[in-house]
Amino acid sequence: MPFLPKSKMARQEALWGYALASPLLIGCAVFFYLGMVASFILGFTQWDVLTPPTWYGLGNYFYLFKDHVFRMALWNTTRYALLQVPLSLTIALALALALNQNIRFRNLYRLIYFLPALTMPVAISFVWKWIYAPGYGILNQLLSSLGLPNVRWLDDPHVAMYSIIIMGVWMSIGYAMIIFIAGLQNIPRIYYEAAIVDGANDWQKLSHITVPLLTPTILFNLITSVISSFQMFDFIYVMTSGGPSNSTRTVVYSLWEEGFRFFRMGRATAMGWILFMIILFLTIFQLRTQKRWVYYE
Amino acid sequence: MGLLRVNWRHIILHILLIMGGIITAFPFLWMIATSLKGPDEVFSLSFSILPRAWNFNNYPQVFEILPFGRFYLNTIIVTVARTIGQVLICAMAGYAFAKLRFPGKNFLFVAVLAIMMLPSQITLIPNYILLKYIHWIDTYQGLIIPSLFSAFGTFLLRQFFMTLPSEIDDAAKLDGCNPLQTFIHIALPLARPGLVAFAVLVVLWSWNDFLWPLIITNSTNMQMLSVGISYFQNPHVTNYALIMAAASLTILPIMIIFIISQRLIIEGITMTGLKM
Repeated sequence: MPFLPKSKMARQEALWGYALASPLLIGCAVFFYLGMVASFILGFTQWDVLTPPTWYGLGNYFYLFKDHVFRMALWNTTRYALLQVPLSLTIALALALALNQNIRFRNLYRLIYFLPALTMPVAISFVWKWIYAPGYGILNQLLSSLGLPNVRWLDDPHVAMYSIIIMGVWMSIGYAMIIFIAGLQNIPRIYYEAAIVDGANDWQKLSHITVPLLTPTILFNLITSVISSFQMFDFIYVMTSGGPSNSTRTVVYSLWEEGFRFFRMGRATAMGWILFMIILFLTIFQLRTQKRWVYYE
Repeated sequence: MGLLRVNWRHIILHILLIMGGIITAFPFLWMIATSLKGPDEVFSLSFSILPRAWNFNNYPQVFEILPFGRFYLNTIIVTVARTIGQVLICAMAGYAFAKLRFPGKNFLFVAVLAIMMLPSQITLIPNYILLKYIHWIDTYQGLIIPSLFSAFGTFLLRQFFMTLPSEIDDAAKLDGCNPLQTFIHIALPLARPGLVAFAVLVVLWSWNDFLWPLIITNSTNMQMLSVGISYFQNPHVTNYALIMAAASLTILPIMIIFIISQRLIIEGITMTGLKM
């Protein structure tokens, strides 16, 4: 093998390098790169898996951009991300600031606020469906006992997405909080000591030291939360099946339905590519803005 | 007189934290409370938080309606296999990318990293079709093998191996260790905190995974808990006491594991936030 280094030691090292990396490289090649090429091509076909695929050009993409149900799915997914991400990150940051201080029961609080992040989304969706249930659900029973009219939490097209967002916020706070706490603990104490010498009050310390030095962590949380909120699926599958009148349909729910309920593989993979392009664009956009607001020491 | 001085700021903070904590914990408490109620108490308009008559029958009934024992077994098999496989494969590759020199290394590493940007949904359908052609639908290998290759894990463990001083490798080399021996006997034991933290995350993801098992399995006997419990997503099943028992059965084991290994999970997540 001519490209390998000449010395025996270095050649042995290179061979071991390939050997150790090869299981991962082969797996990635098959399940990611091959899959990506295949899905790119499939996006230009119509295919029901049973009969051979037929070429369809950009037909799937044209169809999807005109289809008002898919446009609704795009809008719903965006709406979910636009509310869920800022709400959960704000609450997570407030909690992290509170729980980074020396207060009693700190670990117990952290544990409780983190628990939702551990739960299986499918299973906890049933619990929330029961909380939101019409008539017998606890939220409506509470409203009734206060003499207020019931809310159709998951059956009213104007309300359902907000009910899902509340649950999404509840679920994503814990993870972001832990990352924020880690970020806070990484800020060197010396800055605060200097600020105290200069006579800074708590608000000044927060706005001039804590928040600026936490911006890399905020960026990390922002990017990961946006990516995962655009991939939301499990809640919808259990709680609403995309309804009522498509008001909670998300992109991934549409993708699953097209692919595995209607077996329109071409259209489903085209949806996957549209989702990928959106996520890629948003991630690059967020990384680009970091020069303006993210401080690195 | 420090004990007598009341810190009002802390008291207000505690009140807020307790209120938020109750809201956060409420769905779990409500889940467990409902699972212990009888069917008529669930659908009564004079509700109480705690069951009036404790009813433990819902739990055995879940096992009668659905093969939940089998779901547990499948989930455990898949989770254990994915965890061992993923940690091992990512550690091997992470070590190679961190410590060994070989031609094309940087290019290959970037090619692996690029996968992190890829939403899993984009390869969902091609992978499903690939598995259909090789007859892996409805098999353990179908549930396990495509989920063994993690760009994220490789990156994370590579960062971990990078922090190990290279003097150790040089010393091992002088003692006549080849790179595999150095990896197994020196690097792996030293990287144990990183490996364990990553393993805990893989357990969590694998236990809760839904979309892949949903499309890759058909028969009831091959379902994992996540897909198994989704059978209750049926307009004819409205006995919420039963559904809450099933939800408790899937949520509580992972919660108990977490409470035992709390430090490790927190470390794992913290590491992902700091090493990226």
